[in-house]
Amino acid sequence: MNYHFLLAAVAALLVSTCADDEYEAARLLVSKQILNKYLVENMDIVVKYTVYNIGNAAALEVEITDNSFHPDNFAHVSGELNARIDRVPPYTNVSHVVVVRPRKFGYFNFTAAEVLYRHKEDAPRLQVAVSSEPGEGLVVSFRDYDKKFSSHVIDWAAFAVMTLPSLAIPFALWYSSKRKYEKLSKNSKKH
Amino acid sequence: MDKLAICVFFVAALSAACAEFCQKPEVTASAYVTEDATVLTTIAFTTQFTLKCSNGAKGISLYAEVEGRTLPAVRLSADNKYQVSWTEDIKKARSGDYSVKLYDEESYAAIRKAQRNGEDPSNVKPLAVVVLNNPGAYLGPWVNSELLAAVLAALVSYTAFSAKSKLLA
Amino acid sequence: MSGKSKAFTKEEELLLQDFSRNVSTKSSALFYGNAFIVSAIPIWLFWRIHLIDLYSSLISFVLVTVASTYLVALAYKNTKFVLKHKIAVKREDAVTREMTRKLAEDKKMSKKEKDERILWKKNEVADYEATTFAIFYNNAVFLALVILSSFYILKTFTPAVNYILSVGTASALLALLSTGSQ
Repeated sequence: MNYHFLLAAVAALLVSTCADDEYEAARLLVSKQILNKYLVENMDIVVKYTVYNIGNAAALEVEITDNSFHPDNFAHVSGELNARIDRVPPYTNVSHVVVVRPRKFGYFNFTAAEVLYRHKEDAPRLQVAVSSEPGEGLVVSFRDYDKKFSSHVIDWAAFAVMTLPSLAIPFALWYSSKRKYEKLSKNSKKH
Repeated sequence: MDKLAICVFFVAALSAACAEFCQKPEVTASAYVTEDATVLTTIAFTTQFTLKCSNGAKGISLYAEVEGRTLPAVRLSADNKYQVSWTEDIKKARSGDYSVKLYDEESYAAIRKAQRNGEDPSNVKPLAVVVLNNPGAYLGPWVNSELLAAVLAALVSYTAFSAKSKLLA
Repeated sequence: MSGKSKAFTKEEELLLQDFSRNVSTKSSALFYGNAFIVSAIPIWLFWRIHLIDLYSSLISFVLVTVASTYLVALAYKNTKFVLKHKIAVKREDAVTREMTRKLAEDKKMSKKEKDERILWKKNEVADYEATTFAIFYNNAVFLALVILSSFYILKTFTPAVNYILSVGTASALLALLSTGSQ
């Protein structure tokens, strides 16, 4: 039940190729992270894309496209899987968050997102970059999750109801008799 | 470095000049804040909105300011549709309303200038404000029911023990 | 009070003992019925919360429940036996007073018969209180032991092993404690 890929993604950044280092140009590192402890069917999965510009110029028209969350497998809760950032200044980062919910349980391979950008103002063609890959994760069925992680309040309440008569009835019978005779002996002492 | 700064300013000024000015901005927004923190490591705040200008301005770059930090609004596939999203640590994220103030290039530059000069940036009027509500993350049940059951059982058997020792005394 | 009440007559002693060790069929049924219920209840916890597999554990359910029923019933009997004497001593005054008041109007009854009635009533009250208290006491301790061992001590074991060990040891410990405290 452990998913260790929550913060592992940053390390696996892929460097986009930049042909000419001598010019002022943008260089982007893109990470794709899954910010979950557990992946559960029909529960939120937070996907965070972070674009780091390590170049010395602003990246323009940065477009993130992620086609790995097919609508058949994932419900899109909030955020779009296609996003465009007009400008990423040098030495800064910009992040984009998408929330999805898996429709099915089982193993799922989280693949990389694609990023297109212009590495300088007059770049003749777009640069292509790929984000880091979160990798494979197990989506647990909601039933299993609920069984393991719910507080079982109802089950405990039912248990309490079951045990109550076997404790309360003998106690009440004993206690009422005890009180009756203790009262009698107290009264007799007063006389 | 100086050269770079000048260059950045130039680009900013250029794009500001090119961009159209949005008149009477109207924002229709939808927002989602993750609530069940039992499976998450962070809380995600996301809002998507459409900007409508009375003069039909399109393709404006927008910036957002939330809780003292600024982030660019990301443009989505549909025209004039934007998204602002960020994540926050579960422990640090307070519950309640978060107002996302939206600025265009010009007012954003003004804010940056105000911040640099140590002036109050709240003097700059935002284009629009989107409010996100964080109802507070659900971190699992309050009391561990096992523990509660064990404590109750211990209490009951304690009364049983003490009553028995009283009887045997 | 205690100095006087310790002096049971031989007759009384005999009567009390006769009623305590050899449990009547009625109270025996009561004991076994109660022991069965309390032994079967933990199955619910193991099914719903420990997620034990019901079908594969059916045999152990039956065996453990039967063994635990026997042991818990034994604990009831022993506890009752220990308590009955003490309760009889404690209630002696009050019962005698109650009965003499009740029988005072009856002029026809001989002194011996009255004494016998009082003795019988004493026995009945002590029996009743000892029985009900023994059931309450052992049920409470049994359930507490089962919860403690299954959720804390044996938490890491598989549900099937956890069930056998926690219910088994809880009932065995109960029976042992009840004989030890005599």
